[in-house]
Amino acid sequence: MGQFLQFAINGLMSGAIYALIALGIVAIYKATRVVNFAHGYVIMIGAYLYYTFAVLLPAAPWFPDLLFTPAWLVEAKASAQMFSPEAAWLAWLEKLPRIVFGLICAIIGSALLARLIERFLMRPLLGQSNFAMIMITVGLISVLSGAKSMIWTGDAASVPHLAPNPALRFEVFGSKVFIFGANLVSMGLALLIFAAIVIWLRRSSSGVAMRAASEDQSTAYSMGISVPRVFANAWVLAAATGAIAGAILAARDGVSPALGLFGFSVLAIVLMGGLDSFVGVFISAMAVGILEALAQWQLGGDWVEITPYVAVLIVILIRPHGLLGQKEIERI
Amino acid sequence: MLKVEDIQLSFGGVRALQGVSFEASPGEITGIIGPNGAGKTSLFNVISGFYKPDTGRVRVEGQDVSALKPDARAALGIARTFQNIALFRGMTVLDNIKLGCHTRLNANVWSALRYFGSAQKEELELRRDLEERVIDFLEIDHVRKAPITALPYGLQKRVELGRALAMKPKLLLLDEPVAGMNREETADMARFILDVQEQFGTTILLVEHDMHMVMDICSQVVVLNFGQQIAQGTPAEIAQSQAVIDAYLGQAA
Amino acid sequence: MINGNLKATYAADEKIADNRYKVSFIWGLAALAALLPIFANDYIILVACQVGIMVIAVVGLNVLTGYTGLMSLGHAAFVAIGAYGVTLLHHAATALSISDGLQPFLTIPGAMALAAVIGLIVGLPSLRVKGVYLAVATLSANFIIIFLIELDAFAPWTGGKTGLTTVDPSIFGWVLDTQREVFVLIAVMAFATVLLVQNLFRTRVGRAFIAIRERDYSAEILGISLFHYKLTSFAISAACCGLAGALMAYFYARVLPEQFELLLSLQLVAALIVGGMGRTMGPVFGVLVIVLSPELLKVVLSAIAGDSIEAAQFRAPLQEIIFGLLIIGFIMFEPLGMTQISDRVFRALNRWPFARG
Repeated sequence: MGQFLQFAINGLMSGAIYALIALGIVAIYKATRVVNFAHGYVIMIGAYLYYTFAVLLPAAPWFPDLLFTPAWLVEAKASAQMFSPEAAWLAWLEKLPRIVFGLICAIIGSALLARLIERFLMRPLLGQSNFAMIMITVGLISVLSGAKSMIWTGDAASVPHLAPNPALRFEVFGSKVFIFGANLVSMGLALLIFAAIVIWLRRSSSGVAMRAASEDQSTAYSMGISVPRVFANAWVLAAATGAIAGAILAARDGVSPALGLFGFSVLAIVLMGGLDSFVGVFISAMAVGILEALAQWQLGGDWVEITPYVAVLIVILIRPHGLLGQKEIERI
Repeated sequence: MLKVEDIQLSFGGVRALQGVSFEASPGEITGIIGPNGAGKTSLFNVISGFYKPDTGRVRVEGQDVSALKPDARAALGIARTFQNIALFRGMTVLDNIKLGCHTRLNANVWSALRYFGSAQKEELELRRDLEERVIDFLEIDHVRKAPITALPYGLQKRVELGRALAMKPKLLLLDEPVAGMNREETADMARFILDVQEQFGTTILLVEHDMHMVMDICSQVVVLNFGQQIAQGTPAEIAQSQAVIDAYLGQAA
Repeated sequence: MINGNLKATYAADEKIADNRYKVSFIWGLAALAALLPIFANDYIILVACQVGIMVIAVVGLNVLTGYTGLMSLGHAAFVAIGAYGVTLLHHAATALSISDGLQPFLTIPGAMALAAVIGLIVGLPSLRVKGVYLAVATLSANFIIIFLIELDAFAPWTGGKTGLTTVDPSIFGWVLDTQREVFVLIAVMAFATVLLVQNLFRTRVGRAFIAIRERDYSAEILGISLFHYKLTSFAISAACCGLAGALMAYFYARVLPEQFELLLSLQLVAALIVGGMGRTMGPVFGVLVIVLSPELLKVVLSAIAGDSIEAAQFRAPLQEIIFGLLIIGFIMFEPLGMTQISDRVFRALNRWPFARG
């Protein structure tokens, strides 16, 4: 039982991150009707930007250290026990300026990238077939992957966690459960951002504009909604949430080219949930997170990578438009 | 030849067809008229097999076809045209018309890959048959190698009729065959439809808004309004029926 | 010269090689393919083999995506099945004491049949979904199949992550153990594939595919069973990719799962887009561009930067970027591919004395 719980909680935490990434894909789809196959690579660039601004730049001799080192902290660190919660908190505090700087720059950088992509690659294709738009994002995969290899040559590296990372132990139902604090905070952060964005989309005028443009571009245009601005906003939103998700993932798994492949699992999750339903996508993200954890528990680590793909195939065969997607009715 | 028995069809809360029944004798041209949204295309979709009615049956030559899918009904000899032209844009006129004969051909993947042999013989016979029976008949030989997208609207509609004729249909459903045509084109199309009836003895169902044409060539007319059948009879009877005048035709000013 | 339609029989009108330019083009290509193994150096043979193998695979993908309109991002899986299948069938045939010289006549069709059967299974989602959903379904199938090949549990047969050593085919005693000899086989197969597949589109089978691409409910009305023809299209395209995989196994000394990952699927699709979907020469043009552009890059880079280490480091990422830009560029500026460009050129040239009747 304890083991099951351990895995289930890990699964939920993974699921939350999936949901955050999926948010970006759904936002772009809802606004522009394009499925961004390159989203995994967009978040990979976000993660690498975080790595650059939180680790690489501060390490350069000509750049300020960006460490928070007042005297009381240095003393406390020296006297704290290794691997204790206090040590974890203090280590985090020390690196906090780097983390903040890195995160903000990553978000800004990703947002800029998103605006470039939207302006020069997506907008010229307005009104063209679905296939064309999808293939452009497929081409984007190679461009982003190659660019990343050129700028940051490919070895894995580690980045600081966004939150303090004490190892938390506690007992539930009589069995011991072990969670890394940072993962717990990441899960909370992911869920919060997800909820905030969904509420924003429902209440704010930009959110309503996005929903209008997704239903009918020409009508939205004639109502005075700047459809290109809606597109740009959707891409920026996707890139920004992607950068945060990328930073979380990089802190957890290390920053490496494998982050790009992650995007395909999330694509599968998004299609499973129904391309245009935030709720559906949230449910399928959580479900896949738990399924992966269960797969790891029962079948071993190898099977984790294949779980989302098997899941999406099964769901598509039963409900062709995803769990909560809207069926597109073709007028005969 | 065609018997439509008490068809009821609804989509969620919308009742598209409520109890439509009529019969068509072999070689008869039946007009189906009514305001937009009356359910005319839905009726065609039921007869050709795209929609399954909630209740009711469709019988063709006595056989109950209600359970058959569209491709099976094509094999029985039911052909149709569409309101918005449903020709295949990536192909030439000739290829489109050849597709009409799909069910009568026998090539499978293996004979097709080989081509020289049974497939080629079949294709050449098909070509000869179509040229003489359909392309010459509809006077489209001058455009037969043109891509569909290069043709004017009137010719496209004629090609669509040609594709339906290629199937050697016993029952032909024409969904607004003269929509958007001027007088001359309409007269041409009406002539072709009458020629089809005379030469091939096909039973024809015609959805149309052009009342002159309907009254001229149809021997019976069925009137639909909001899914209900409000009248059925000869054109003369329909023109004088008060219910029809109120719903659709209107009074002379 | 009079430029008009002077055919006297329907048979003449139905021909595809209907003017002497087309006929001489086909014979010219055949002559080139015959001369290459005799006169070309090893590097050219290497590139030519890669082109030949990929052409076969892309012709298959063209049937599915170009002509039937069903998107697939996972066709590398069928190439993998062909490559692994042919190697395993050779082992099985040897175990059954079938003579070496006869083996390819069993193993190549066997590998193609295996790929076709898996193609039928992978094609099942196409009966329920279209567009993006089908693309993701095929993508998932690709990941799953490669995963299964890499799985330790199957390693005794598939060699797991380290792959299998391949077999040199022997045709009636002629052992093809040099690349030059394998090229002959590849060239013959490539020609055969292109010509045979094109025949499909002179019959009702090919027309049915195109009809499904344009408007599938209209196709149903005409009696075309979507179930039958969509799955047939998947099977044919999978079989072609299976053949390409089998030839790959003969060409390379080893088959590894990583040769068949997503990148290969994307290369196949890119070749199709660049070359032109739904046209006979599309796959040929597209593959030439996709295979030759990395080679061209190598030449350009060594001319600019010599043999420095930095140049070598930049080459692979730059290749990736160029690949992506090719896809993006063609979709934005020439979505119908290179066949569209060649159409324009030939239309402009359709004047005396080059008029084609």
